[in-house]
Amino acid sequence: MRDRVLAILRCLIFVAFSLVLCAVVFQFAGYNAAQMLVAVVDGAFLRPGAMEQSLRWALPLFITAVGVGISFRAGYFNIGAQGQFYVGAIAAAFAAELLRGTPALIAVPLIFLAGIAGGALWALWPGLLKLRSGTDEVITTLMGNFLAGLLLVYVSAGPLKDPAGSGQQASSRPVDAAYRISDSLGLSPTIIGIAVVVGIAMWLLVNRTSFGVLASLAGRNGTMVRWQGAKLWQLGLSSFVISGALAGLAGTIELLGPNGRITSGFLPAHGFTAILIALVANLSVVGTAAVSIFFGGLASAALYLPIMAGLPAAAIDIINAAIALFITARSNLLDKLLRLGGRAQ
Amino acid sequence: MSSQSPPALACRDVSVRYGDVAALSGVSVEFAPGLIHAVVGQNGAGKTTFARVAAGLVRPTAGTVEIAGQAIRTGHVRDSRAAGVELVHQSFALPPSFTIVEAMEFGAAGRGGFYSRKGLADKWRAHLAGLDIQVDPSRRIRDLPVETQQSIEIARALITDAKVLILDEPTAVLSPAGIETLFARVRRLKERGVTVILILHKIREVLGIADTITVLRGGRRIEGPVPAADLGAERLAALIIGDAARASEDRDALVGKGRPLAEPTAGQPGLAGRSPVLSMTAVTTAPDSEGAPLHDVGLIVRPGEVVGIAGVEGNGQKTLVRAIANLAALSGGTIALDGQDVTARSLAARRGAGLRIIPFERNVEGLSLTSSLWENWSARELLEGPLLKPVHPSRIRALCDRSLKDWGVHYHSPAQRAGSLSGGNAQKVILAREVDSDARLIIAAQPTRGLDIGATAFVWDSLRAARDRGAAILLISSDLDELFDISDRVVVMLSGRIAGEFAAPYDIQSVGAAMTGAGHAATGA
Repeated sequence: MRDRVLAILRCLIFVAFSLVLCAVVFQFAGYNAAQMLVAVVDGAFLRPGAMEQSLRWALPLFITAVGVGISFRAGYFNIGAQGQFYVGAIAAAFAAELLRGTPALIAVPLIFLAGIAGGALWALWPGLLKLRSGTDEVITTLMGNFLAGLLLVYVSAGPLKDPAGSGQQASSRPVDAAYRISDSLGLSPTIIGIAVVVGIAMWLLVNRTSFGVLASLAGRNGTMVRWQGAKLWQLGLSSFVISGALAGLAGTIELLGPNGRITSGFLPAHGFTAILIALVANLSVVGTAAVSIFFGGLASAALYLPIMAGLPAAAIDIINAAIALFITARSNLLDKLLRLGGRAQ
Repeated sequence: MSSQSPPALACRDVSVRYGDVAALSGVSVEFAPGLIHAVVGQNGAGKTTFARVAAGLVRPTAGTVEIAGQAIRTGHVRDSRAAGVELVHQSFALPPSFTIVEAMEFGAAGRGGFYSRKGLADKWRAHLAGLDIQVDPSRRIRDLPVETQQSIEIARALITDAKVLILDEPTAVLSPAGIETLFARVRRLKERGVTVILILHKIREVLGIADTITVLRGGRRIEGPVPAADLGAERLAALIIGDAARASEDRDALVGKGRPLAEPTAGQPGLAGRSPVLSMTAVTTAPDSEGAPLHDVGLIVRPGEVVGIAGVEGNGQKTLVRAIANLAALSGGTIALDGQDVTARSLAARRGAGLRIIPFERNVEGLSLTSSLWENWSARELLEGPLLKPVHPSRIRALCDRSLKDWGVHYHSPAQRAGSLSGGNAQKVILAREVDSDARLIIAAQPTRGLDIGATAFVWDSLRAARDRGAAILLISSDLDELFDISDRVVVMLSGRIAGEFAAPYDIQSVGAAMTGAGHAATGA
């Protein structure tokens, strides 16, 4: 328990550090740092409607991040959430196009299945390569991101192209309005419900099943689990597939929810932010929920910064990156300070 | 000390506390120059902490350290090294991907500048040759056998003109032959005037090499340094263990008398009639990277029987265990557990049939050091059910707590990391997991390696108790005393084959001959 409190405290201190650091940098760059900090907090949580806007970003991020956490726990550095998210959205968009005209009650579940399967598939092949022949999953999943990004460009400019579209970016035909699970604001009881179900199911999987305990053991020491008689490929591949499936689910939500279509290059940082969230949350499901809301807030503030502080929206990326740097750096010094008087190792 | 010159190393009233744990309490000791000193004690006696204080790696909470009569700043490794004190750690610290040349140059901490590959190679080849280490210096550390890695560690420690060389548990990783080589090397160092301090815990080794002996127990100096000649093995064992003296039978074995016991409890008359728990027939394994393959191995272990596997390390013992665990591919032969052919069955199925393994590598194959104790403890049982079986961590933690207490593990909480336990305690966690009432065949691979006397006796007692409950035990050990003491039969492996089988009373000469392939494949009486 004490460790958990310390972990949270450590996180908060790091976040504070990175915000201060960014403030200093922006101050020197000629912006008003105080105004920036106010804008971030305001845009994320205080402004009317900010909470809803933050949740709109937080929920899909949470779903993807929980999946990332599951493969990381099992010891596989699947950094392909972005690609799995894209392929999920693409598969769902194809399904939505094929099913156009079918009643929503039949079509929507099928679209979800297609999206989940698409994401799972995009995690399956790096998983197989890793477990069959030891191919480094960092390389394959990273490549998978690029492939999926190009696939998205092709699909939205080719097979699924919206003939009426005239924007700078190619996009698919809008999904049948009957299939949409939220309006363009992107928050609805359905999406909240899906996130809650995913959260509970994954919490149970991680904390209350043999799979959770064994996958975590395997992630830390695969050899030991093998000597206990576990089939490593079973634990590993299911972790890959679950993480891909959840990213695909998030892609489907973005399609049927706020976006209503797929656009080449849409939400290009989704998967990477999810990785960041999973790491900041130390791979815990509950932590991921909390951190997702925080990062959802930052995403929501990103739209608010230009108006309030005159900062480019990309400033949020700098803040994200600073937080990532600080948190993954894991300072021993800070741990010691936090444990004042505790047992040294 | 009769010597006129100041002690090579002296500690006065040294105390070290880690939080509220006292690792050393007021230890004062002087080591005369030019001798081989042994510092002995059980795990947790403070030996390693002592070595680290002496080498300047740990700053004591109180006390002073003098090197050759000069007081030095404690806790400053540079000062200690400058004064000529070098420490070779228990676990090696050489970068695995470096070549020997690179590792040596790295250790020498040169001033930078230009190098020629050949020049460096020549320089270090000469250094190694001066220490009688015959190895191609362009080989990579990770490709070297442990014996050679250790020699390189020692060579690196001797780059500068070391006056005092401290070796922390140098024999823990070595085969009996490797230990002899090490000791020969230590004696040559002594001839060159180096003061050697050996941290050891095997009494026989101590008496075989040390000029003086210092005994630590519970962080205090109990005895010494006294001339080794003044201490008998039994006296030394009593000093190390203290009041918690073990049964004299075990003590004799621990002391390493190596005499066969007259069938302690092993003389079960009906043993031969019982149907075997493990029967391997003509098992041959496909060659792989992990060790010598098996050739035509036939082995039977009956219930209530301890079969010992002797052999020089690397002669297929590890493959034998992996074959029984279905972790090595068989190219021929069959393996049966309790009469059931399990040749084609998974390790999970074999474990279900009562196979239990105390593996060679405690910290790699046995435990996940960064995982909690309860996770480690519960892994075997969790794998018996389906993967999605609900578990209740709090209930497992409570069961684990009880089990670990029963096994006498010293720990704070089941949630603590397995890596925070000492070697003996870690082994007890593995025992708690593997030695349960459903165990039919227990494979104990080097179960006491690196353990102190108390923990060793504990492991033996547990194996004997399991044997008495009717389990079959396959004990693989490089310690012949251990094998002779608790095995009902000893089987010798050589180059992946069974090279002989012996029954008590064991004749160390013929077992040794079978191990080295010197004699005929003997079949003992």
